[in-house]
Amino acid sequence: MRRLVLFIAVVGLISSCTKTEKPLPIFGQREVVNGDTVYHKIAKFQFVDQDSAIVTNDTFKDQIYVADFFFTTCRTICPIMKTQMLRVYEATANMPDVKLLSHTIDPKYDTVALLHEFAKRLGVSSDRWHFVTGAQDSIYKIAQTSYFATAMEDKSEPDGFIHSGAFLLIDKDQRIRGKYDGTKEDDVNRLLEDINRLRKVHE
Amino acid sequence: MNRLPFLFIIIIIELSGCNPGNTSNKSVKYQQYFVEGEQLYTTHCSNCHQKSGKGLGLLYPPLDQSDYMDQHLSEVICLIKNGKSGELIVNGKSYNQPMPGIPTLTDLEIAEIATFIYNSWTHEQGIIDVKEVTKILKECDESSQR
Repeated sequence: MRRLVLFIAVVGLISSCTKTEKPLPIFGQREVVNGDTVYHKIAKFQFVDQDSAIVTNDTFKDQIYVADFFFTTCRTICPIMKTQMLRVYEATANMPDVKLLSHTIDPKYDTVALLHEFAKRLGVSSDRWHFVTGAQDSIYKIAQTSYFATAMEDKSEPDGFIHSGAFLLIDKDQRIRGKYDGTKEDDVNRLLEDINRLRKVHE
Repeated sequence: MNRLPFLFIIIIIELSGCNPGNTSNKSVKYQQYFVEGEQLYTTHCSNCHQKSGKGLGLLYPPLDQSDYMDQHLSEVICLIKNGKSGELIVNGKSYNQPMPGIPTLTDLEIAEIATFIYNSWTHEQGIIDVKEVTKILKECDESSQR
């Protein structure tokens, strides 16, 4: 009898452990409005991608996406970020609900034509990976206030900009669910796991 | 007793194995070039060309297998220092992303980087001496001034 109780207890313990996988955190401030918790969301935006198509929040409606900030002439961390983002692109090839969004922080130089060429040379398709440009102020503002990523001009830097190498995981409700170092393979592995977890929750 | 000639032969083979002349000295120099070159490559080159030397898409050309490198040693030395823009054909594919030069590199550092990339992956060129590099760099400086 005792053994049976112990057995049930152990089984119970194991099953409870596997069930309670912690949900991904929700980043940013939260408020309670009329008894409901309101979470930090990505603000409204409108940019233009490498095919001159307008990209807004609605482009990612009912989609999970990964966002980052870069520029094409950057020779420091961006090539590493693009190598890692290409891994994400390849790993999510069979996930129609997962998209990628790369913002240029040098819109004066990175025109639509240049981004088009860049994406083509990277060998990626524009319906899954949007490279966007827009007004410099709007890009910097959304980077800092919506994605909590650093992006600004700085003439003292070798390439003229400072920006973080972060990848941000955004859920279907436009909330940030993860932040990863896009220059580190291990951290990007974590992102790939989190994408799978998030997709399961959304199912 | 029988072993003696055998031992003798082994010694002969070992001696001849490490090339005649002052080569042990040379190989130390090669090792130094290669190790320093690897570090410099990691700092200045691997962001784009990757640690594996495979490059990235059609943006950054590969170095691990490169007919351009095989055929254009002088140009490679010059472009490490001075950069390069415009179209570049590598292994039959067109690349067109400007590469910034690194004018602060010394001739020795360029020789070390060249020794590293020309003896990694599929390449086995041997040491690329600083004297050779200095000579090549003088010529590319002159041609760019013309």
